[in-house]
Amino acid sequence: MTALANLSLTDAAEAVRTGQATSRELLDACWANLEKANPTLNATIWLDREGAEAAAKAADQAVADKKPLGKLHGVPMAHKDMYYQAGKLSTAGSALRRDWRPTITCTAVSRMANEGAYVFGGLNMAEFAQNPTGHNKTYGDCHNPWNPPRITGGSSSGSGAAVAARMTYAALGSDTGGSIRLPAAACGVTGIKPTQTRVSRYGAMPLSFTHDNVGPLARTARDCARIMSVIAGHDPMDPTSAHEPVPDYEAALTGDLRGLRIGVPTTFFLDNADAPVLAAMDEALAVLAARGATVTRMTLPLMDAVAAYGGIVSRVEAATIHAQWMRDDPQAYGQHISSRMYPGYAIPAPYYVESLSRRGPILRAFAAEVFSRVDVLVTPTIPTCIPTLAETDIDHGPPGTEYKFLAVSINTRPFNYLGLPAVSVNCGLDPNGCPIGLQIAGRPFAEARILAAADAYQRDTDWHIRRPPVLG
Amino acid sequence: MDDFPQATEAAIARWFGVAPPNDPGRRMAADLVHTIAAFEKLRGTMVFEDEPSSFESALQATKETAP
Repeated sequence: MTALANLSLTDAAEAVRTGQATSRELLDACWANLEKANPTLNATIWLDREGAEAAAKAADQAVADKKPLGKLHGVPMAHKDMYYQAGKLSTAGSALRRDWRPTITCTAVSRMANEGAYVFGGLNMAEFAQNPTGHNKTYGDCHNPWNPPRITGGSSSGSGAAVAARMTYAALGSDTGGSIRLPAAACGVTGIKPTQTRVSRYGAMPLSFTHDNVGPLARTARDCARIMSVIAGHDPMDPTSAHEPVPDYEAALTGDLRGLRIGVPTTFFLDNADAPVLAAMDEALAVLAARGATVTRMTLPLMDAVAAYGGIVSRVEAATIHAQWMRDDPQAYGQHISSRMYPGYAIPAPYYVESLSRRGPILRAFAAEVFSRVDVLVTPTIPTCIPTLAETDIDHGPPGTEYKFLAVSINTRPFNYLGLPAVSVNCGLDPNGCPIGLQIAGRPFAEARILAAADAYQRDTDWHIRRPPVLG
Repeated sequence: MDDFPQATEAAIARWFGVAPPNDPGRRMAADLVHTIAAFEKLRGTMVFEDEPSSFESALQATKETAP
């Protein structure tokens, strides 16, 4: 039965469409893994088995009735518990929203439902999507399926763990500083942060008005392409979403990388990187080169400015959103959450305005210098081997723990400030048995190109189909 | 800068009514000296934007055209 849960999302949808499997069988397969792995992983916050069974029954009836079927027909999913569904729990991973039920439904969730997917649960996450590790004071820490004492990455911790443990075929995450790519990397799955404005944020819990992104974590690049084809595109309910046409992302997955120019930054992204991570990246670059890509080592411009400006925007915006709770009930937050927001109140408004006003010029200058020479950038997603939950536990660790905690997202944050799309794929295992993530970033709206590179890599490697030890 | 942590906490309390939530919060607020240093290094490197909403136009100007 659980073999069905090993299918990729696209294969699972095809199995339902062609009658090789029922939606109920997919649900049961995922549920069996959930019952086996979740006591160790703590990847969920709430579950709705009854509702999921009803949705599976309806999906199977639609197949029997030969009704038109969507791209995700009959596929059960669970999402980071910050995507609103009217009348359903949405905790945002916080005690402050323990019983909160929104009155609206997220556009991304609605669009996937329109294509036949259904939701069976809310997944664990960092409180208000604010840590890169997976710690959670209220609902318990989420644990890595490959080595449970180690971090899942965050903030979409449950999304990474649940996809890796075959508890769901895919999950929405959110990415303000790396929160899709980090759990994708640490849990060994594929996750894409789209271009800023590419996907509607309507009905997604806000953290940073200017840096938040909605995107998928799934087993393969093709799965991510399928979901992106459903959720991308302008949404009248989110005026900040781009009017840019949505290309056929799956059609771009040809496996042909001839002519692709890859840039590998020699500074910043490799600073303090661990040797096993560098070795895995070099092996991955060789795989991509064998498919026809060329690799150029290069120094990136403006990284001091990107780091300085990018480092304050989301902090100020998060502090603003949370000001009332920070006044009224600061102890409701984990220490690592409130301590990160607190300095946001001391950052002068002119610094914030300067950071935002220079975002456009910096992107133009960065793109002119970098993307005239290469098409994509490749870096480690996380430059170090995956640390333990204890090593990064600000709430209970010694002074200085915050630096190890913050170092986790050093390589992902720049692409949020620049607004560029970036995907993370698994490219190896570190000495502790935890996955190593390869980050591929491109120009604005280059999702098709970076997914094509990720897909080509996965055609020649098997890291993305390996099962974590938690499944036995 | 010796009184920077205390001055920062006082400013936050006065402007926002938010107290230091814990010791890590105090440490991270004190670390804002590094933010100030980073901004000091950038002074004079760029001119101020005439059009403050240009990030979206920059996304369009630099976007992928034909993969």
